[in-house]
Amino acid sequence: MPYADLLMAYADAAVRRSKDLAERRAAIESALGAAAAVDAAATVANYQRMVRIADGCGIPLDHFTDEQSAEWRASLGVNEYYSALNTYGE
Amino acid sequence: MTTQVEAVQFDYSGAALPIPDRIRDCHLRDWERLRGPGAWWSGAERVAIARQSRLAEDCGLCRERAAALSPAAVAGECPTDPLLPSAAVEAIHKLITDKSRLSREWYERVVQAEGMSEERYIELLGVLVHVFAVDELHRALDLPLEPLPEPLAGAPSGYRPAGAAKDASWPPILLPENAAAGDLDIYAEMGGRRPANVISALSLVPDNVRWLNDQFAAHYLSWTEMGEIDKQHRTLTRPQLELLATRVSALNECFY
Repeated sequence: MPYADLLMAYADAAVRRSKDLAERRAAIESALGAAAAVDAAATVANYQRMVRIADGCGIPLDHFTDEQSAEWRASLGVNEYYSALNTYGE
Repeated sequence: MTTQVEAVQFDYSGAALPIPDRIRDCHLRDWERLRGPGAWWSGAERVAIARQSRLAEDCGLCRERAAALSPAAVAGECPTDPLLPSAAVEAIHKLITDKSRLSREWYERVVQAEGMSEERYIELLGVLVHVFAVDELHRALDLPLEPLPEPLAGAPSGYRPAGAAKDASWPPILLPENAAAGDLDIYAEMGGRRPANVISALSLVPDNVRWLNDQFAAHYLSWTEMGEIDKQHRTLTRPQLELLATRVSALNECFY
């Protein structure tokens, strides 16, 4: 995917409150344009909200997601997250 | 004679990057929603929830707890707020700083605490996450946080949808088949399909879902646009947007 590394580095900096946030954002602006940098910021903000809704309500995976993602969840270690208990029991 | 000039809310005219009107208009609506009375909290209490969400960022006790192997190992209480039950403040701080270790047991303790209920928790969470998302967008662009609005007077409505019932998540939710006519709009974009769990999660307070629908569309994509996999609605491509979404979820250790 084009510029995946730049986008992930920016998300990391934003969520972790890193000092290199401005630098990471500038890298996106330089490579993809100013509007793309705003898209990236808004997307990070959007999912900072969504994860709190999900884990604040203890919601399980939707059935269709559960089936589709089973293989890669296991390979990436996502099943080890504490909030996996909301889907697979406590 | 002095002239008082009212500050323009969400003035992005001096921002280094172009903030689309779609986002600014939504943020103006966000602040209107925030400052009015809800179903279970007054306008002043809702603004106090927002204020606590900002204070949580700098709460030393929360930082210590988040870093500890077990948060219970760190004794103490977060600073109190004159408008909010202490359980509400503790919940706000936990949701901001240590959300990857929430549990059903924690939820039950919060909603049974003095001054709390399932309805009040869900409205608190709704206010918290929508203000937090506005703040996060500002932080991600190195913009100053918007001053919180003056609360409006008025009593909470006490509205609880009669069809709300326990389902898969901790709090009761309102599913479309159980919704009264006046609440069906919250799932209008679902086209009769069962809403994803993360959409119905806040539906014990239907206005939460209206807020979510609005802000999700402004910050990301509308639910309808989400279904249009092959269309490009933003400058970033859909796979690029999804990559960011997945990365943020992984950083937060969010299984969902």
